[in-house]
Amino acid sequence: MAGDRITAVIVDDHAAIAAGVRYWCERADPPIELIDAEARMANVWTGPGAEADVVIFDLELVPKNPAFGELRRLVDNGRRVVVYSQHADSATVLKCVNLGALAYLTKTEGPEHLVPAIHAAADGRAYTAPALGGVLITDDDPRRPQLSQREMEVLRAWFASSSKELVAAKLHISVKTVDTHIERVRVKYANVGRAARTKTDLVSRALHDGLISLAELDEVAGPGT
Amino acid sequence: MVSDDPRAAMELATRAQLMSRLRVGILAAASGGLMLLCLPNMLRDWQLYEPAWTQVVAFTMLAGVLGVEAVLVVRGRLWLASWRWPAVGVVVLASVLSYAALPYGHAASAGDWIFGEATWVGLVVLLSRPLRVHLAFLGLHWCIALVNMLLSSDVERAMVLRFATGSIGVIGYPLCMAVTAAAFRGIARSAAAAKWETEQVAVAEAAAAESHRRRQQRFADLDVSTMPLLEGLASGRLDPADPRVRHDCVVEATRMRRLFAEVDVVPNRLLHELRHCADVADRKGVLVELDARGQWPDLPLAVRRDLTEAPLTVLATAASWARVTVVGGPDLVCVNVLADCGPLDLPRPATSGVRLDSFHTEKKLWVEVRWQATASPR
Repeated sequence: MAGDRITAVIVDDHAAIAAGVRYWCERADPPIELIDAEARMANVWTGPGAEADVVIFDLELVPKNPAFGELRRLVDNGRRVVVYSQHADSATVLKCVNLGALAYLTKTEGPEHLVPAIHAAADGRAYTAPALGGVLITDDDPRRPQLSQREMEVLRAWFASSSKELVAAKLHISVKTVDTHIERVRVKYANVGRAARTKTDLVSRALHDGLISLAELDEVAGPGT
Repeated sequence: MVSDDPRAAMELATRAQLMSRLRVGILAAASGGLMLLCLPNMLRDWQLYEPAWTQVVAFTMLAGVLGVEAVLVVRGRLWLASWRWPAVGVVVLASVLSYAALPYGHAASAGDWIFGEATWVGLVVLLSRPLRVHLAFLGLHWCIALVNMLLSSDVERAMVLRFATGSIGVIGYPLCMAVTAAAFRGIARSAAAAKWETEQVAVAEAAAAESHRRRQQRFADLDVSTMPLLEGLASGRLDPADPRVRHDCVVEATRMRRLFAEVDVVPNRLLHELRHCADVADRKGVLVELDARGQWPDLPLAVRRDLTEAPLTVLATAASWARVTVVGGPDLVCVNVLADCGPLDLPRPATSGVRLDSFHTEKKLWVEVRWQATASPR
């Protein structure tokens, strides 16, 4: 998408959410062109929505019935998905990450997280918002990847403060290092569980950029894999 | 009879306790009569019975019933309802059997040993039953004896008189015992009722004392910080217009809210108390985000107070927004609060496993309180 304008399609049954997100997208730097699918999945697969770089997906188009199947279909077709949901329970969040969503944001998380999440997803990178950070550090699934003490500390501070500048200042590291730790956690998560194109892209890219080494990846997968 | 009702169970236990001496006495009388009177009489008239073995069977049946009673008395138990009626049947069968073999003209004689004994054995079995049941049993037994007399002897004046005088003792003595037992039942009932009420009063008293103790404890907690503030306001020493006094009031109001929340029975006490602390800030217009992740054990009150004390103070001081987060696991709980306020003098945690860290920038204060299980298995 380099050079091109970033486009995103939003699927949400609340018109106010779509309008609010459009406002944030227009003011983003670089700006994001938003297509409203008007709560219809067909508009994500056909027409201008089919060409959008990022899908902003409300998991609960039907109340109490999270659309994991739709999410899986989108990811399997190589779409880069940012889940933007009312739902915030840890199991749902982890399931979306495992399915291959690049970001999971709760609707209490505003433009300061949604805009960077869309930018990251358009670039094929993951974005970890504070709530997701909180979910990852309290994940007690035996198949979870092994995180280092430092990664845990950074994630915990990120969840607590919701500001990378504050995390960096408190832990006496640079904002870039904070980012690196958070990204490494997501790469470790992408390397376990269900295989998905967005996840393998994330891992190979991290290996290419030297964010993580092959040996480290083998280690995090832990016993049993 | 086994009852789920504790009150009925208590009445039953009281009755068993009261009855035990009476039962021993009646059992001794019945057994003594069987061994010392019936047995010699039966053996003396051994040649008369037709056939003699029926008397042995009847004797063994009554002895068996008394044996069961002896075991029950030793174990301190009452007759089971399901056993009682078969036992009465055994007694009735024994007397019918004994009379069947009694020779002509011997009704109410010394050889008619069962006439005086069966009523005592029946009394033993029916002791805990109402008086009318005793009357019915005695009546039945007397009728069997009467029918026997009418059928198997020449009904003459001497015979009728012998039967009548015999009947007075045979029916009279066991009846006296049955009346005594009935009186015991009434006494047991009122004794159990009194015991029940005493226990209820004791329980209510203990509960009242416990809640009084807790209330005093809570007053003592308020005494340290809230009372001086209220006294200062009352005496005019503290000015309500002073922002510092107002701040102290918010902190104390939040502490009181937490105090009220501490008595609530909820699944996650720490989170419940934090929500109440956040609510006070919310009411004064501070936008509070509260997010909790993970699962942690139920922490003791002192630890929860340490974990909420600093966040409470920060929340009460926040100017416009605050973020409160909790992350927890089996042996670690971190409460973080971030708000737009200057540095604060925060109280140090009182319990050993709790650590407090604070960090501030120009406009923000970030406080982390962390509880770590001391005897960590790791």
